[in-house]
Amino acid sequence: MTQTKTDNTLTGRAPKKILDNMLVLDADVHAHETPGSLAPYCAMPHRKSLEILERTPRRYLDVPGFAPITPPYPPIPDAGGERRNTVTSAAQMRQDLDDLGVDVGVIFPDHFLLHPAIRPTDYAVALAHAYNHWLVEEWLSNSEDDGLRGVVLAPHHDPTAAAAEIRRYASHKRVAGVFLPTSCVEPLWGNRRYDPVYEAAQETNLPVLFHSVTAFHTAFPFNLYCFDTAFGAHTVAHPFALVANLVSLLESGVPARFPNLKIAFTEGGIAWVPWIMLRLDKEYAERRREVPWLKERPSHYIKRMFFATQPIEEPEHMKDMATYLTLFDGENNVMFASDWPHHDFDHPNKVLQIPVSDPIRRKLMGENALRLFGERARGPKRKGAQQSRTGAGMDTRPGTGNGSVDGTQAGAT
Amino acid sequence: MNVDAANAADGQRDPIVEHIVGNSADVPEGAHIVVEVNGREIGLFNVRGHYYALLNHCFHQNGPVCRGAVSGTLDANAETGWQKVWTREGEIVICPWHALEFSILTGECLAFPDKRVPRFPVKVEDGFIKLTV
Repeated sequence: MTQTKTDNTLTGRAPKKILDNMLVLDADVHAHETPGSLAPYCAMPHRKSLEILERTPRRYLDVPGFAPITPPYPPIPDAGGERRNTVTSAAQMRQDLDDLGVDVGVIFPDHFLLHPAIRPTDYAVALAHAYNHWLVEEWLSNSEDDGLRGVVLAPHHDPTAAAAEIRRYASHKRVAGVFLPTSCVEPLWGNRRYDPVYEAAQETNLPVLFHSVTAFHTAFPFNLYCFDTAFGAHTVAHPFALVANLVSLLESGVPARFPNLKIAFTEGGIAWVPWIMLRLDKEYAERRREVPWLKERPSHYIKRMFFATQPIEEPEHMKDMATYLTLFDGENNVMFASDWPHHDFDHPNKVLQIPVSDPIRRKLMGENALRLFGERARGPKRKGAQQSRTGAGMDTRPGTGNGSVDGTQAGAT
Repeated sequence: MNVDAANAADGQRDPIVEHIVGNSADVPEGAHIVVEVNGREIGLFNVRGHYYALLNHCFHQNGPVCRGAVSGTLDANAETGWQKVWTREGEIVICPWHALEFSILTGECLAFPDKRVPRFPVKVEDGFIKLTV
């Protein structure tokens, strides 16, 4: 079953601190792809499997054979905020982004954050192919530019097929990059078997974006099944998946071997970056001869990568985050992301609270992302950009019931 | 915090004006609604026949806290032998944006007790809900 709540809790809460003519480019929002929605785009015989899945009751973002998170702990009553947590159409996404104060949003999938957890290569490639086709047809084809952009999914299972997907969509004006899922990937993304993916991305000038998710898997990047709670698993799942793949990229010299490849990481926050950067520099001093393709200390490569803010860390004093930015040239490589509509989405309000100068704020909220994605990501100013909140009058909608519609906890991703 | 003390403290910042914001039948036991008074959104809650009013604004990321679900919560302490117990049924509202929990009775945030949602005095007279803002 899909979420049926239509209540838009974002209405009237656009940020008030947006500067004049400030581009707000959201590097990570999520479209809700379902087996049924992809079936018409999927080749036989795999379309049959999607039709079966569509008829099968399913939990929120936890679908065996499609998006197998398989959490080993029980659902917690009312653990999720009660609101719509899916976006099912381009028009709905545009409205949500207007309410968030976002001009341009870069679309990632919902379920296929878990794409590497799918086992059969032929099925996984068929799903990626169907998803990309669906993304372009249903979300990136509005006759007027609606500010929606997308990243095409590269199936790690078959790097040659992944490279073909990249080249297939590279000329599409609203395809802004390549999505490389990080959780459950084996081997990690630095392995040379993936070189065709990076060759295609570099050749087509599309950035690659590593995006994490909570996924329970008995192998690296982390033994998440050892945790009893989402508190534990979710805390480490995202940054560790990103850390593992970042280290893997440096281990095999991807940023040295593909010097024009643009690399970004999303959904781990940003505080992990200086930690792993400094640790890598320390290791490099001792072990350079293991990685002789690296011509500079690892931090130099890392500072040329990009990092999305969500879930932005929230220390007691947000000025601490301004300090963090200074540790890895974050002024020039950090980009706002909301992760809308997921459970831990960030409203632009929070990133705008980081006490930095207005020019830096403009970089964080959009200009850095524009450097990553290029001019193709520039879109029209959102509707109602100067509009302040409006009084809605008496709202007599009663609060109803419990958490997610299907009773599962919304903290799964 | 004493409920009456919280009511009094939060209401003092503005000139006190009483507003009729609805009929008690609009908010039956266990229900809650959001009303707008002088440009402020305020949540009205009926917990076991007592009415409470909270500002519809979460300190965290400015979310509409009073639009969230009402629930109980989980607790554990020495008295429970550090075992989880379900408690405070109907007294907790959960912000729909990020699930921060607040006591409807005191406005206190369960995760960060130094944070509170401002409360307003509310009463029912002649079937009308009267809110003091």
